[in-house]
Amino acid sequence: MANPRDTKSPQREPESGSVTGDLAQRIARAQGERPVAKAPADVGGTGVSGANRAYRLASEFVAAIIVGAGLGYGIDVLFGTRPFAMIILLLLGFAAGVLNVVRAAAAMNAATAVPPGTPALPDDDDD
Amino acid sequence: MAEKPIEPIHQFQIHDLFPLGNVGGVHFAFTNSALMMVLTVLAVSALLLLPTGQRRLVPTRMQLISEQLFTFVSDMVESTAGHDAMKFFPLVFTLFTFILISNMLGMLPYSFTVVSHLIITVCLAVLVFLTVVIYGFARNGLKFFKLFVPSGIPWFIIWLVVPIEVISFLSRPVSHSLRLWGNMLAGHIVLKVFGGMVVGLASVGALGAIAAVLPLGMAVALTGLEFLVGALQAFVFAVLTCVYLHDAIHPGH
Repeated sequence: MANPRDTKSPQREPESGSVTGDLAQRIARAQGERPVAKAPADVGGTGVSGANRAYRLASEFVAAIIVGAGLGYGIDVLFGTRPFAMIILLLLGFAAGVLNVVRAAAAMNAATAVPPGTPALPDDDDD
Repeated sequence: MAEKPIEPIHQFQIHDLFPLGNVGGVHFAFTNSALMMVLTVLAVSALLLLPTGQRRLVPTRMQLISEQLFTFVSDMVESTAGHDAMKFFPLVFTLFTFILISNMLGMLPYSFTVVSHLIITVCLAVLVFLTVVIYGFARNGLKFFKLFVPSGIPWFIIWLVVPIEVISFLSRPVSHSLRLWGNMLAGHIVLKVFGGMVVGLASVGALGAIAAVLPLGMAVALTGLEFLVGALQAFVFAVLTCVYLHDAIHPGH
């Protein structure tokens, strides 16, 4: 890639020889090294750690219940219907929490189902 | 250290660096938290502005870092929220870099982790939530309510589904803020607890000093984990911001 550009400008040869002269070679070498360095980085990037997933799902679930109970309590205080709105909205909050968890889990599955750049990994040849 | 008990919570204390006076009976002061926020903004600005000033074709290492950061967030916004959401790229980029750099600065000894206070994460989450609601109504008008009415639902279930969807929508800023806050708070407390164990055991005697190796190893491992968690939570916060912005632009599932 850099070779034709280097040969076109002879007056820059001493400078390009030091900085960009062996650039193509270095890129090729770096790309040769890349899959080895990339494999663990990919695992850390797409495969979110299990604890983080669990925490994500738990917080989605708990947040909906808190909001449902809080809304119910607010309606109770406003309209003087002491336990009923809170009971109903707590149940709805539970349902919303399940909905949140299902959506988050579906999004996680969709994100991990097709790992990007899988064919480029050298591990495929071993299989 | 024996006379002074180790408090894992002590690191989250806010103290005034210099007072700014009272406005309407409310005490204003420049606190250690504010100092860390200013340092974070300065660090982000320095990281992005200084190396990119010369715009080299073959980038220097620092220029490469800032360019990678830029393309990373821009790819994330484009793939998660769609091309229409690119006008919110500055918001997402600011949120991501602010949380990321403040978490990294918070890992320095004697410093302060800004997002370990709920008020900060709630402010950030409410900012995103209000952006979604206001922009959603401004762009879609009343069609924004389609967000709460999934298509293809029979009429006799709608009355049950809509409240559930509304609660689910309102719970977003809660989980959005609690997750970031909880992760950073819990991680730093655990780190301090294990650090306190090392000091406590080492002060007992020779046998204690040998036993202190175990919590020390845990503290070293947890320090690495905290760097991961700090970066990961900044990423999660930014991704969820994109997901919510996507709903503001394309309501209806």
